[in-house]
Amino acid sequence: MIPTLLLTLATAANLAPVTGTQDDERTRWSIHAEKIYAAPGELIENGSVRVDAGKITRLGSGGGGDISVYAITAGLVDASVRIHEDRLSVEESSEIQPALRVADTLDPFSHLWQRQLRSGVTTVMVSPLDRNVVGGLSVVLKTGGPENIAARTVAVDAALCGAIGSSPSRGNHAVYGLPTDFFSRRPTTRMGVEWEWRRAFYDAALAQRHGAELDEDARGLLQVLAGVRPLFIQAWATQDIRTAAFFVEEMAREDFGQIRLIVDAAAEAWKEPAFLVRTGAGVVLPPFPHNGRSGPDRAFTAWSSAAQLHAAGIPLALSSHGAQSPADRLDRQAGYAMRGGLPFDAALAAVTLTPARMLGVDESVGSIAVGKDADLVLWNGEPFAATSRAVGVLLEGRLIVDPREEN
Amino acid sequence: MRSTIQSALALTLLAAPLLAGDGRLAIRAGKIITQAGEAIIDGTIVIENGRITAVGAEVEVPWDVEVLDATHLTAFPGFVEAHGNRGMDRPNENIDVAPFLNIRDSIDPVNFYFEDSLRWGVTTINVQQGASCVIGGQGMVVKPFGMTVEEMLVRPASGIKLSASPKSGKSRATQAQALRKAFTELEHYLAGLVQKQKDGDDSARREALYQGRDLDSEEAREGRAQAGSAAWTVADLELIPRGEIDEKQAPLLDLVEGRIPAWFYCGAPMDVRVALEVARKNGFLAQTTLVLASSCWKAADEIAEAGVPVVLSAALMHIERDPVTGEEIETFVPKVFKEKGVRYALASSNQSTQSLWFQAASCVAQGMSRAEALAAVTTVPADILGLGKRVGSLEKGKDGNVLLLSGDPLSVTSFVEYVVLEGSTVYDRSKDVRMRHLLEGETPEGTAPAGSEEPKVHEHEDEVVTEEEPVDAGEDKE
Amino acid sequence: MLILSLALASLAPASKPLAPVSEVFAIRAEQLHLADGTVLENGLVLVDGDTIAAVGSGVSVPAGAALVEHAGHLTTGLIALGEHAGGSGELRDSTRTVLAGGRLAHAFAPGHSQLEALLAEGITSLVLAPSAGSLSAGCTAVVKSAGDTVVSERAQLHIGLSSASLLSNRRPTSYSGALRDLEALLSSAHGDFGAAARGELPVLIEARSRHEVQRAVAFVAEHKLRGAISGAPLAGELAADIAAAGLSVISDPRSPGASQRSIDALLSLAEAGVPFGFKLASPARHANTLRMGVALCVRRGLSPATALRSLTVDAARIAGVDERIGALATGRDADLVLWSGHPTDLTSSVKAVLIDGQLVYGEL
Repeated sequence: MIPTLLLTLATAANLAPVTGTQDDERTRWSIHAEKIYAAPGELIENGSVRVDAGKITRLGSGGGGDISVYAITAGLVDASVRIHEDRLSVEESSEIQPALRVADTLDPFSHLWQRQLRSGVTTVMVSPLDRNVVGGLSVVLKTGGPENIAARTVAVDAALCGAIGSSPSRGNHAVYGLPTDFFSRRPTTRMGVEWEWRRAFYDAALAQRHGAELDEDARGLLQVLAGVRPLFIQAWATQDIRTAAFFVEEMAREDFGQIRLIVDAAAEAWKEPAFLVRTGAGVVLPPFPHNGRSGPDRAFTAWSSAAQLHAAGIPLALSSHGAQSPADRLDRQAGYAMRGGLPFDAALAAVTLTPARMLGVDESVGSIAVGKDADLVLWNGEPFAATSRAVGVLLEGRLIVDPREEN
Repeated sequence: MRSTIQSALALTLLAAPLLAGDGRLAIRAGKIITQAGEAIIDGTIVIENGRITAVGAEVEVPWDVEVLDATHLTAFPGFVEAHGNRGMDRPNENIDVAPFLNIRDSIDPVNFYFEDSLRWGVTTINVQQGASCVIGGQGMVVKPFGMTVEEMLVRPASGIKLSASPKSGKSRATQAQALRKAFTELEHYLAGLVQKQKDGDDSARREALYQGRDLDSEEAREGRAQAGSAAWTVADLELIPRGEIDEKQAPLLDLVEGRIPAWFYCGAPMDVRVALEVARKNGFLAQTTLVLASSCWKAADEIAEAGVPVVLSAALMHIERDPVTGEEIETFVPKVFKEKGVRYALASSNQSTQSLWFQAASCVAQGMSRAEALAAVTTVPADILGLGKRVGSLEKGKDGNVLLLSGDPLSVTSFVEYVVLEGSTVYDRSKDVRMRHLLEGETPEGTAPAGSEEPKVHEHEDEVVTEEEPVDAGEDKE
Repeated sequence: MLILSLALASLAPASKPLAPVSEVFAIRAEQLHLADGTVLENGLVLVDGDTIAAVGSGVSVPAGAALVEHAGHLTTGLIALGEHAGGSGELRDSTRTVLAGGRLAHAFAPGHSQLEALLAEGITSLVLAPSAGSLSAGCTAVVKSAGDTVVSERAQLHIGLSSASLLSNRRPTSYSGALRDLEALLSSAHGDFGAAARGELPVLIEARSRHEVQRAVAFVAEHKLRGAISGAPLAGELAADIAAAGLSVISDPRSPGASQRSIDALLSLAEAGVPFGFKLASPARHANTLRMGVALCVRRGLSPATALRSLTVDAARIAGVDERIGALATGRDADLVLWSGHPTDLTSSVKAVLIDGQLVYGEL
């Protein structure tokens, strides 16, 4: 009875829950490792990282440490964790919602963030559920820290998110007689989805061209055309990835603007990388399925997808989609990509620096460098090997997972 | 339907060497991890009549034995799956107590699972009924190769499945009661049989003959019915010729007499007590292996005390939430059993990417020793299956089951390049079109029209796999 | 709304005659509870008509006025915040997400059979609040448990920010959409929303899970609203934020009964100085849960004085009617409850209840 009360009061006072050691609040650490993978292609052997007040203050060879581990990498970055309140994360009353923020719908108390954090994922982007054509603005945030979305946010309105494929039209139906609710509408097919994309952007661009008054939604779309933020489109299958690429090209051809495209869940991007190279798009791969196919469109992800896209020079990020099981989390996805032939440095880039760049947060996260956030993953072996794992995690200088507790 | 045909085709292609082979092969490997002593660098394995006749660095190869040059590869004993319920038509029977059923009739040799097992290096599999039963059918140990169940057979009657966890829609109390009742009924049945024999009633004999049984030869082979080490006995049971016992009851008597192993599923820690009690009272504790959901680590002390081995759930990390603080608590299950001194075998996940090698690697990632982890997928499951002298390591006299890997068995970038089963090469990755498809996305010839965006055949292929998904009904559902 | 209220009025039986005491009378109790928590020994309340004329130890009883001696505790009537009694279940318009200008007072059915159960628990006032399922169902009303007194017909503006307010086939379907629509209503400066935006009308925000409470607190802070959050069983972890936003909390008494965490949450709120009160969900059967919830908190360490305040003066403040009810003080409504013992002690029983100076339950 009494311990329960104490714990609850402690939480109420905004102290870190559970382990009540002083180390929880400590933000000055020096960590030694046999290998520090500071950035893709940048290995420091037998070195140490010093952090203070949430930032990395020193990085170099030699040096002792409060903690010594086998390897250190930067905190992992996942551009597509789907830890949201499902259908409450997307406003379905209209298919085009360029002004709504998914940040307003998230639950910072969800235990799923802790799972990501424990597996070494420290920075994530969350998008609305794929039920709308244009779902809204995503947010980039840390997976730990104060239980408050605003306090964890790294970048607000990081990207405008939407979907191409079968998902956005799901639930809509044609009108027979009187419409029963707002789902009596377009799109009910892939064609309709594409039409909605084009209509929304054409309307906004033409309204601007003709000097018409612009509403909040139109302004949101125009910002994407102006390159203020990237367009993050979920497209699993080849035909949908093509649609995304052709759409971006059409907008440029019409002189509406040059969209920065990121294709999310691009399972079949490996089939036709040329279109993505042509549009300068980046790719976020979905988690590797065990027997080839996954997602709403049953798209086929070859094990070598990551290696092929990397070889084509396409900016590449891996994602676990917020996997719950330790066997499917982001570090494992990097291992699976390596099984398909992706070199280690490229795998490291695909779970750290590349997604950080895509989301525009590489100034603070994505690699180990003086002045960047002290988000570190401590490994008991080679990162991404099946025989090693994240035994320690620092988030903004706080030791969230302590490798010394490992026995 | 088409996928079945596809599997059959794929297997037929692979089957060619076996049909031609004679169980004689010499393998020169760059490294041999024997699981019985130190690794051998640049060694040779000689297999004759399906058995290993020599392993070592300096081994003489008979002049007429075909040599497989694998000097760039690592040889490793095939992984052993101690308990699984995939590869069957349907893993669960409707009848609550059905020990008279046999998995033999349910195994589908062309099931994708067996083909996939080779791909991930699993060469010995104990196939048991699913856990949605009270007392299930009898399982068998197979190798994942062959066009018929007979060809696949390694050991028949590998045990009877029991479940202490309720079938869906039933309560735990009902389940426990049904388990106890099955054995009480056996006892009553046997007592009745003895009484009838004394009364000169030969109806049991006539029923046995009606069932088409050859009573004389059965008696000669198996002797008379007798009580085992159960806490109960039936007086004068030796009066009964074994062949007269109803075939629906006979397998349970085998269990009570300790003639056949038991695979007892526990879906929650509380089930362990029931399972151990039933096994103890009916005399088959020594033949019992517990098949555990991950939460059952909480009963590790009880299990250690009973001295029974266990097969762990594929979900090695047990995650639960503190009901008061809402914090998550993670427990790595194999570590607990290791600390308690319980013998444990690991099991594959239904996701083939998380096959036995991955499970063992996960143990190493959690700080367990490599030797411990590898044993839990080779020698320990072999011992639990009573096949310790046949599989699990590369030693003279054992079955000639060898994996040839492109690298270390626990590396995520290693591939199984060849599988040798009893001296015959049954898997060659360079000929595995489906693997090439999974890996490189290359569409295998004849499986889909060229340029098709969504070759339908693969969707069906997936369905075959998903059909098997609800395996251990009740697994971790608490 | 007109049709609704007419229908309800026709359902309502005529108010039953209340037992008259006398125009001016006094009650002296062994323990008399004042709003600030002080307890007067042998304190006296002087009632003149429907109002309290004086309270104190040294109050003299006018000649001719009756004096009732009570060997027990005397408090003001308890207040249930948010409740369905007397509303015949018609507390939400399911056809619209926002019922601008809606008045729960129109759903009040004086003399409704469910109200009697409240009197037996010493509850003399209740807030009629809508059932969950809309973004805003209009304004709550404060009514008395006996008679047809409506204390306030525009007590709080109801706002639904819980998942129960978001239906999948009606705008809004998402939290973000709900916030956008509410912002538009507040910025329109019309009607009840305009009054709430100007701080003239308190809000009653439904929010259940922790993130919903957090979202509601941020929304209130951003728009400088005042009022209370209703139905937050785990709000304790957010006590500091709630206090900083100047909000109060209305707890569902079923929650304390169900979970240790929610009781601790209320204790945390008390510690952070957040006023809180309780609502009733199903008064016909569970009128006693109001005091049970409080008693569970007392058992966990809440002071009986704070507990009593949550049922009286704090509740009155949350409902914006503390000028009239919630305290034994000169000029307030003469709503009195005579108890056998302390009201937060579950072994205590109600001996008599007076509303507006009229005996409505028990005997004097």
